[in-house]
Amino acid sequence: MTDGGAGNDPADTAGSPESGERGPAEAAETTGAPDSGERGTGDSADTTAGAVDGGPTPAVTPASEPVTDELPAEVLEYTTGRRSVSSLVQIHWGLRAGLVAVVAGVVLTAVLSNFGFPPEYGPLVVGVFVVLAAVWIGLRYRRWVYQVRGDALYLERGVVTHVRTLVPYVRIQHVDTSRGPLERTLGLSTLVVYTAGSRGADVSIPGLTPEEASDLQKRVKELAIEAEGGDAL
Amino acid sequence: MRLDYRSIPYRILENGLRIGGIVVFSMLASGGSPGGGFGFLLVVGFLLLGVFAVGLWESAYVRRYDYEITADTFDIRSGVFSRREREIPFERIQNVDIAQNVVQRVLDIAEVRLETAGGGSSEATLQYVSRSEAVRLQELISDRKQRGTERDPGASDDVLFELESRELAILGLTSANFRLFASLVVVVSLVAPPLARQLSPSANLLLFLGPGVAIGLLLLLWIASGLQAVFRYYGFRLLRHDDELRYQRGLLQRYTGTVPLSKVQTLMVQENVLARLLGYGSLVIETAGYAPGQGSESVESAVPIAKRHRVFELVRTVEDIGEVSFERPPKRARTRYIARYSIVVAVATGLAGVGHLLTDAIPTWYAVAGLVVLTPLAAHLKWRNLGYYYDDEYVVTQSGFWTRKTTIVPYFRVQTVADSQTIFQRRRRLRTLAVDTASSGGFWGGDAVALDIDADTAGQLRETVHDRFQSQLARRQSEQTDRTASLR
Repeated sequence: MTDGGAGNDPADTAGSPESGERGPAEAAETTGAPDSGERGTGDSADTTAGAVDGGPTPAVTPASEPVTDELPAEVLEYTTGRRSVSSLVQIHWGLRAGLVAVVAGVVLTAVLSNFGFPPEYGPLVVGVFVVLAAVWIGLRYRRWVYQVRGDALYLERGVVTHVRTLVPYVRIQHVDTSRGPLERTLGLSTLVVYTAGSRGADVSIPGLTPEEASDLQKRVKELAIEAEGGDAL
Repeated sequence: MRLDYRSIPYRILENGLRIGGIVVFSMLASGGSPGGGFGFLLVVGFLLLGVFAVGLWESAYVRRYDYEITADTFDIRSGVFSRREREIPFERIQNVDIAQNVVQRVLDIAEVRLETAGGGSSEATLQYVSRSEAVRLQELISDRKQRGTERDPGASDDVLFELESRELAILGLTSANFRLFASLVVVVSLVAPPLARQLSPSANLLLFLGPGVAIGLLLLLWIASGLQAVFRYYGFRLLRHDDELRYQRGLLQRYTGTVPLSKVQTLMVQENVLARLLGYGSLVIETAGYAPGQGSESVESAVPIAKRHRVFELVRTVEDIGEVSFERPPKRARTRYIARYSIVVAVATGLAGVGHLLTDAIPTWYAVAGLVVLTPLAAHLKWRNLGYYYDDEYVVTQSGFWTRKTTIVPYFRVQTVADSQTIFQRRRRLRTLAVDTASSGGFWGGDAVALDIDADTAGQLRETVHDRFQSQLARRQSEQTDRTASLR
């Protein structure tokens, strides 16, 4: 259906099912000629994402994947809609960045005053860093989306570089939940999914509550067991 | 079974030389001139002690190393003080390699390495067994691995490829690292003339000496890398042994390796600029056996060099891929490269300017900016060599001008699929699709990456690759159940 606009497809992909995250906005975007208007509507994919992960509560998109209808009930019960991570994760990242800022600030100020520069530049640089970090953390939190699909785990993340990853359950080697000291005090947990791949062999979802994390771990585990096919090694 | 007894003297020689060298060096460094005969005696005494200790250790190592072949596993018990027992299931073994250097060949011993998909280094390294034992182990492991399948006892090895001397010569000629060459030429021709002028301002002749020296150095480098390649791939033969590829190579260091066809992750065709001009390429077959950090040394070319069509013929004996017609990225990707290279030129000009300010050595630093006229060409060349293709069975990507890499990934081997978009790609609506496999090529090497394709196409392609992966998986599954059903 979106094939009409994108003329660069060598083979016919019209038969491939529309994915969950490709909402109506993106479909509309493709109707424009792909080579004209280079700087035009390029970000509409992002606005779709932004519309969904507005709140910390799990949000189910109305346009979920069509394959869902064909999924057996034992798989369907484990799938989720598009979910964003807990807003508390911003505090976690913020504290981490703050720690770095404090250490860097002390070192920088010491170095500057040693070399005869005015030491006020140290806090100034750190201040700029803190502002940038705050913006980055906010954007990063808003970009983070995960979805337990019928046959793969779907992740969307990244501020400077937007990354969308599909991890088929068949390929999952093991699933961890990890909680660092900072995460424990904030009541957060991270889910780490390992594959045998050479790049990004581990994929992690931060900013989950412990209950969410263990629930997600259970879902992924069950789906990984459900999906047979070996690890192709 | 034990290691070969001849490995004791070899190991003593190998490690003794190293330790002896350290001892002598440290004595010389610390003592300066050891006081007369007594000092000399001390050195000799230490050396003898060192050699004795090494001998004791090595013979203990060899004596305490024990391996055994059971019905399904290869068991190793090793270690002098801390013992280790390791069982490696045969069906998990990816590669079996035999290496023999000159001294080892004289002694008729060989090193056997077994690789599985896990872990950071070789899972088992037998240092050393006799040549015949090494071959026997290689044979035995490939037999045990294929126990499930019917085996034709009369089947002989098919020679798939044999390196002719003409091809060896071309390999030597084309094995230079051209990226290094190009950057060296630029750096030397920029730096050398002012440097020569500084050294002796009167002699204008020296002006030409800089580039001359550079060219000489390059030639030397070229010859050295060519010779290395020739020594490495001398007598290269690729055989098909049942469900396995085997290769032999090396003039001084003999090397034999196996690649099980059922474990092939990706195929990569590499053609560098010169080879491409001459119509040649090389083929790398990647398995999950070697760990990513294990170095380029261990990721072997299946075919070091052959005519392009021969390379693709060999590709088709491994993976039955049809005609590949690449889809190039949209033209706006090319503008992106012009912008990128212009920025690089600007930064280089700035650096040269700063360098001139600091050292006063590059009076013509602004000439660097002239490189900007090359950016459209460079951008076009980069764009020309990018591409992707997919059909029902495979996804193929291509990239690289200096060394063009064409990566062929069967959907069945896909581990994860991801598409990414950097801040620079966003305004041009481009995305990069990365298909990850368990191959050992390392972070940038092994994976199929389609750079800078249209953003929407990338999203669709991600879903398509994943869907075809799932359907191939299902097909393999049903084939498997059919096979077990028919066996029953």
